[in-house]
Amino acid sequence: MRPGFTSQGLITLAVLVIVAFLVLLPVVFLVEESLNTGDPMAFPPQEYGLANYVAMFEEDLQVIINTVVIAVAATVMAVLIGFTLAWILTRTNVPGREKLERLMELPYYMTPLVGALAWAVLASPRSGFFNQIWRWAGGTGDLFNIYSMFGIAWIMALFEGTVAFVMISAAMKSMDPALEESARVIGASKLRTALTVTLPLVMPGVLGATLFVFAEMLGSFAAALVIGIPARVYVITTAIWDSTLSYPPAYGRASAMGLALFVVMFAMLTFYRRMVGRGSFATITGKAFRPRQMDMGRLAWLLFGVCALYVFLAVVLPIAALLLTSLERFATALLHQAQFTLANYEMALALGPVRTALANSLLLGFGVASVGVIIMALVVWIIYRSQLVGRGSIEYLVMFPQAVPRLVFGLALLWAWLNMPIPIYGTLWLLALAYFTVMLPIGVRTLAGVVLQVDKSLEECARVCGAGWVYQLRTVTLPLLKPGVIAAWLLIFMACVRELGVSVFLMGPNAKVIAPSIVSAFASSGIELTAAMALIQTFTVVVALLILFRLTRGMTRELT
Amino acid sequence: MSAGALCIELRDLVIRYGEVVAVNGVSFEVNRGEHVTLLGPSGCGKTTTLRAIAGLEQPGAGTISIDGQVMYDAVRRHNVPTEQRGVSMVFQSYAVWPHMTVLGNVAYGLKVRKQSGADIRAKVERVLDLVQMRHLADRPASKLSGGQQQRVALARAIAFSPTVVLFDEPLSNLDAKLRAEMRLELRELQRQLGITSVYVTHDQEEALAISDRVIVMNVGAIEQIGTPEQIYNRPRNRFVADFVGSANLIRGRVREPLAAPKTLAFVAEGGHVLQATAAHVLRGNETEVAVRTAYIELGKANNVNQMPGTVRRRMFHGDFVQYVVDCPLGQMIVRHPPTNLVAEGDGVNLSFSPEHCVLLED
Amino acid sequence: MRVAVAAGMAVLLIGLPSWGQAQGKVCDNPRPMPGFKSCADVEKAEAEGAFVLYSTDPEAGQVKLLASFNKLFPKIKTSYVRLQAGALYAKVLSERQAKSYLVDVIQISDMGMILDFQKRGGFRQYVSPEMAAFKPEYKSQPEGYWTWGSIIMGGIAYNPNNVSAAEAPKKWEDLLDPKWADAVNVKVSNSGLQHGVYYMLKPILGEEYFKKFAAIKPRAFDSYVQQYGRLVDGQDKIIMGAQYSGYIEFKAKGAPLAFVFPETGVPAVSETYGIVADGPHPNAAELFMDWFLSPVGQQALSEALLLHSPRADVPAPAGSVPLKDMKLLVPADWNDFEKSRPEFAKEWDRIVGARR
Repeated sequence: MRPGFTSQGLITLAVLVIVAFLVLLPVVFLVEESLNTGDPMAFPPQEYGLANYVAMFEEDLQVIINTVVIAVAATVMAVLIGFTLAWILTRTNVPGREKLERLMELPYYMTPLVGALAWAVLASPRSGFFNQIWRWAGGTGDLFNIYSMFGIAWIMALFEGTVAFVMISAAMKSMDPALEESARVIGASKLRTALTVTLPLVMPGVLGATLFVFAEMLGSFAAALVIGIPARVYVITTAIWDSTLSYPPAYGRASAMGLALFVVMFAMLTFYRRMVGRGSFATITGKAFRPRQMDMGRLAWLLFGVCALYVFLAVVLPIAALLLTSLERFATALLHQAQFTLANYEMALALGPVRTALANSLLLGFGVASVGVIIMALVVWIIYRSQLVGRGSIEYLVMFPQAVPRLVFGLALLWAWLNMPIPIYGTLWLLALAYFTVMLPIGVRTLAGVVLQVDKSLEECARVCGAGWVYQLRTVTLPLLKPGVIAAWLLIFMACVRELGVSVFLMGPNAKVIAPSIVSAFASSGIELTAAMALIQTFTVVVALLILFRLTRGMTRELT
Repeated sequence: MSAGALCIELRDLVIRYGEVVAVNGVSFEVNRGEHVTLLGPSGCGKTTTLRAIAGLEQPGAGTISIDGQVMYDAVRRHNVPTEQRGVSMVFQSYAVWPHMTVLGNVAYGLKVRKQSGADIRAKVERVLDLVQMRHLADRPASKLSGGQQQRVALARAIAFSPTVVLFDEPLSNLDAKLRAEMRLELRELQRQLGITSVYVTHDQEEALAISDRVIVMNVGAIEQIGTPEQIYNRPRNRFVADFVGSANLIRGRVREPLAAPKTLAFVAEGGHVLQATAAHVLRGNETEVAVRTAYIELGKANNVNQMPGTVRRRMFHGDFVQYVVDCPLGQMIVRHPPTNLVAEGDGVNLSFSPEHCVLLED
Repeated sequence: MRVAVAAGMAVLLIGLPSWGQAQGKVCDNPRPMPGFKSCADVEKAEAEGAFVLYSTDPEAGQVKLLASFNKLFPKIKTSYVRLQAGALYAKVLSERQAKSYLVDVIQISDMGMILDFQKRGGFRQYVSPEMAAFKPEYKSQPEGYWTWGSIIMGGIAYNPNNVSAAEAPKKWEDLLDPKWADAVNVKVSNSGLQHGVYYMLKPILGEEYFKKFAAIKPRAFDSYVQQYGRLVDGQDKIIMGAQYSGYIEFKAKGAPLAFVFPETGVPAVSETYGIVADGPHPNAAELFMDWFLSPVGQQALSEALLLHSPRADVPAPAGSVPLKDMKLLVPADWNDFEKSRPEFAKEWDRIVGARR
């Protein structure tokens, strides 16, 4: 029997075709539109040319400069934060290490949107909480002004710092302590060992993290949207957003910018993969060592404070600020002046559109997670466990959306589905399809991590005992994957509820979701109502998160 | 040997991994009820060959037949999937499923074959008895020790009464003492149930102890097939002589055949003449003889090959003593039971018979 | 007001007949409804069960307006999308291109876009019995394609707590004073009202005005809610082209605000409503238009969004100056207004730092 024509082979082919359709087709549309130099709304384009790309460098040069400057600043800060935290938590005897490690992951789940809103509340000139307190305490002028390039970079760094932390601490943990010990035994001092042995060994991991973080910063949208626009600072993502929201919509220009961004991100991520030496984006949990811890004495408590400070700045403070705002009639930090009320929550929950948006987000979360996990499990099995030809391509395709900035992908999907004969634009179906596509990397990554931990021989043994493919999947593979499947489900669910970049383009009057509604509320309702909505969304994510934490207690995950 | 007694047959099997040829034209047969071991260093292709019999590897050329049925034939593009071959396997890592109990694991193969609940129960109990794991039938498999997992893996493999059981280094993860015990039990079980088994190991001691026949492999090809005695006493070439047991390898050249059948005169490099035997048809250009360290006598003995020597080094290994002796042939290694110890520096008389001086084929 | 609008009327009448659209007629027996007359088939509308509005008004206000409608017709569920004019129009056109017909009625605050949409055949003609109460310059010729739902005007607003009455600007030219640098906000170039402000003030104040205005580095926002919010909490000091209805709304909530009607006049544009062709709920759309254009609906609009109605028989929102007491600067030639948009957008984006 030729392997190509087995049921496995057919299913693989089907999967390959479907994934290619979902992932590549929108990008193809985008490429075509970027070359459109005629009527931006005509499809297919009437004139082709490179004018859009040229215009990018002529008219939008400032935007590109802004993007790079902010991304660099944010990356530097994020990597510093991540490195410091990683060092403290893996190399020193800071107290409460396990709890702290868990807490360090929290900012990852706080959406940058909520973070940006919160910091707008905290640090906007004159009315920001910090500045109010500063003036009340006798200061003049403003202590902070979040509406600046630095402000945007700060917010991005604060929330991306945790990604850098996870990647760098993984690098630190994968270093064999014997390497340091042999230096110490020969007689090298702590400092010398640190500089000549530890640092060089950890450097590739750090550099890899830097590249990865930089790539993500380039494509970041929420902070630039909330903070950048009032600050008159446009970056590529907000410029793309802006282009499609004016009349006439400049889809060609937006596509060109989107593609340029995508190409740069793609290049960075390719470098990153080369550098870290992995063939795929999938997590392979190699052996993790417990490196030798340095005794810091009383300094350990200071270090504890540093970690706590990060969690405070990234999680506690923003949530507290939003909570306070959402319970007031007019936002103020001066508690003696505040008028407290629950009206904002009443309105948020009673406002039909908000309720619908929240319900839609939850529905999409449940639906996409449930269906997605099954399909992704199948895909993962095909990629990592079958012998089928073409599985390498499937893996590549499935990880592809990670290299495309969400916003750009949203634009691509918009343009693709505006012009495809199937009328699902403006419906929840399109959103579901879009969510599924952009969640592929997350789901596949998580499931792959679990699948690879399942020794191949466990499955082979089932086959040898006479079980067919389906029976083996059902009785051996899937039960063993259960914890990983649940983790993947929760991650996808949370990502759906937080999703912004794709949703902003694909919503319709009957297909509203929560994150864009929060953005819209920020623009056209008071900050108090916006805060209430943001907290309701965060609450949903937190509930899912708590379940996830209980489930994965003790399990370390890599976020890359 | 009639064809009906032939259980497994491999012909010209070739298996490739990309550019690398892991198995390069391997052919052998296994008779019903026989226990055959594939022995060789890591990377020699023994495990790959074993897995190919199970259908877990995809060969590039050759044929595999089990019980008269063709399981794989490259020319006819015939490939029976694993689950339909009816062979069983014990994995190196045991592959005991942690999410089932011992009972669940062992019953799996029977459940797949849709046997009745009562049948399953009976067979599982019987087989658990055989491996002395009956009392742990309801224990979750994740809570077993290494040795216990091994027994469960074994029980699972034989529960559905397969004709062939394949063993992929099943004992290599156990400590030495346990390994020795399990070895015996395995052999007993195999004899008792009359199972045809193909066993893979890199431990030559194990291979010699429990096999009916041994197939020595190296770099994807078969070096020698024979009974343990044949492999040990009549190594075909340098590799087998070196890999199985310990031997002294002496270079030189063939001088002339002698009167006794298969005997010849061999001139060692130093000039000393030895009487050697050849298991193969004499060509005349062979260059090496092998002498097993265990077959060299110290002190007076009535052997044809004799020479004086001095003990340079003595190392006590417990069950035997190893001497390094300087003699006209160079440095010879001699292994001796730990009685009548000879001191370092003492003179000895080395001797060994022509049967124990084997001319290597290549 | 009378002067400027009368001029507009003349030009409107010139431009229209060439589009070859037929005269519409009101139905023979308009059905009496609570407070208004309707030609719509109410049973069919209720059977459709839903109504979708796209509008530039702030969400909270749209919700209130639609809630009033829904109160009368509980079987008709309402939903909306809020976007600024340019974005809204872009979305509508994109959807139609995709053959996705999701919206029943649109409101856009830029007449240029309205005319463009009419040219593309985007509107469906429906003559409501209520349209008779609207002056000809407030509706399409022939009737029934679009009608002005409200008139919005832009002046100058500031927070008296942060800006004393003495230093507060009285004229448009006062805004060029360097002391206002970095303290003024405006609407984004997508906004119809902002387009109107630019279009009307440029010939009056001269070419140099807006070039100098750029030196003030104004910040652009999508909605007057943000603009007034920043005035209240002190992040900005002045709104240039401040939407009067927003001032009334915030004042009613107790915010410290002041509004200036410069002597030159306040530019004004319309918020124009029309039924979209091929909409998903045509009968509900007709019913809505009848209700909306009636005194009852206009009153509801006034309460929800503090907007001035074009109807003479609807009073101005509480606490506001009535239309007849304002010097409104309304574009005379809407076609010219439409053509001026791309140049306005580019120039405005440059002024607010949206692009280089």
